[in-house]
Amino acid sequence: MATIEQKGMYKAFPRSGKNVSFTHYCPGCGHGIINKLIAEACAELGLQDRTIFVDPVGCGVFTYYYWDAAHISAAHGRASAAATGACRARPDAVTIAYQGDGDLGAIGFNNAFQAASRGERFGCIFVNNSLYGMTGGQMAPTTLDGETTTTTPFGRDPALTGHPLHVCEVFAQLKAPVYIARVSVADTRRIMQAKKAIRKVFEIQRDRKGYALLEILAPCPTNFKMDPLKAASFCMNEMEKEFPLGVFRDEEAREPLAVRPVPQASGCHDLFAEKEAVPAAVDDPAVAERRFKFAGYGGQGILSLGLCVAEAARLERRHTLWFPSYGPEQRGGSANCSVVVSGTPIGSPTVDHPDVLVCMNQPAYERFVGDVKRGGTVIVDETVPVKVAPPDGVRLIRWPAIKMAEEFGVPKAANTMMLAALKKFKCTGLSDGNLEKALVASFKKKPALGEKNRELLRQAEAREHS
Amino acid sequence: MVVVDKENCKGCGRCVAACPKKCLALGETLNAMGIKSVEYKGEGCISCGMCFYNCPEPYALKVEK
Repeated sequence: MATIEQKGMYKAFPRSGKNVSFTHYCPGCGHGIINKLIAEACAELGLQDRTIFVDPVGCGVFTYYYWDAAHISAAHGRASAAATGACRARPDAVTIAYQGDGDLGAIGFNNAFQAASRGERFGCIFVNNSLYGMTGGQMAPTTLDGETTTTTPFGRDPALTGHPLHVCEVFAQLKAPVYIARVSVADTRRIMQAKKAIRKVFEIQRDRKGYALLEILAPCPTNFKMDPLKAASFCMNEMEKEFPLGVFRDEEAREPLAVRPVPQASGCHDLFAEKEAVPAAVDDPAVAERRFKFAGYGGQGILSLGLCVAEAARLERRHTLWFPSYGPEQRGGSANCSVVVSGTPIGSPTVDHPDVLVCMNQPAYERFVGDVKRGGTVIVDETVPVKVAPPDGVRLIRWPAIKMAEEFGVPKAANTMMLAALKKFKCTGLSDGNLEKALVASFKKKPALGEKNRELLRQAEAREHS
Repeated sequence: MVVVDKENCKGCGRCVAACPKKCLALGETLNAMGIKSVEYKGEGCISCGMCFYNCPEPYALKVEK
């Protein structure tokens, strides 16, 4: 027989600049044993090139350093949500979410539960050590009655904090899951059962059967405040009383799920209520990325103004992204949006240092003016007192957008007046025709207003500016 | 036969307890991390692999057949 050694993991685990080949887990940690079994199953089934692991927040956070396969790192509790996206976007992949009991049992419970209820095609490996490990051993939903943790120093009191949450038993009420089981890694016999169960989770995904949940009881010597062997005994003798091992569902004989087509979206046509197909952007490396920030208060048409520029870019077959940011209120709060226009695919929609900043009120100006790139342009409404100078090398244009809109008798068109400034001072790198077309398109539901705004745009642009 | 890489061992003792032949023990010397890592006593190993599967570390132990 072959040598028994680790399969499916990287040979070294570079972390914090160090090139080590031991994990970050504490001595005797159940995660380490489980991580090894997962890597082994993935490798032995030949699935490494097809597997997407969705990594948690918690002690298991660094699994992307260990398992040699694709990874997505999810926000706390959101691994099942991210795995939903992964398994839908890549029906050819084997998707495995790895989550702890703080992550899945508390903040992420509904994500995990609803994914299970929908029967998403991924396997969820759920490590239960009865507490929050990484943050210092606080009570989790899975903490045993009477168990001492840093937040239950006198033992968990059910009168105050309820009883432990039985995740497998709850999920077993759902129709969709194919496989639900609870195993442990407290001793050799249990580890061998866990090894088989983990392999089964991968096989169910490989064969497109549907959702699988495998709960694994794991000792946490550090936070149990026990040596590794006593922690393993606690896991067997105390945790198993509350969380009995067993198979709650096994319908592996089910037919494989059909492959659902992946919806393909492109452009911002939904925002412009267009139903026809949108032509894709054309790569042109000669067109440098240009970043815009539009800011003011909600109701000034800030977000629409950004959309107009993004739409003009789309009409010009550029890559573009529009990214709004606003408070819970629909009107009256601070609002801003970022637009990126580029000849090549765009990595991030956020704009920390705009080439062009358009501000329609004082707080917006004072918040963002310092961020503008050297060589960039700031267009600010004339009503805003310029108490803060823009950085060196930044052009400042004070433009009477609000005043002009009022003079034209259409106070709401102040954003159109700002678009006029962008056009007049050649700030966008986009053609005049496409800027006008985008403006008209933004009034698609009220065509008369579209033409009116085009007219106002031209009049505003023609105005002398010192 | 079991092969220990003591630089990857954290000295938890899970393998010592799991070995059916009791042929592993925590040593007296420290590794580079300052941990008293596990050592093979030199005889008795039947290459069953139980130490490997009980060990939380991927590269602390391997069993050559």
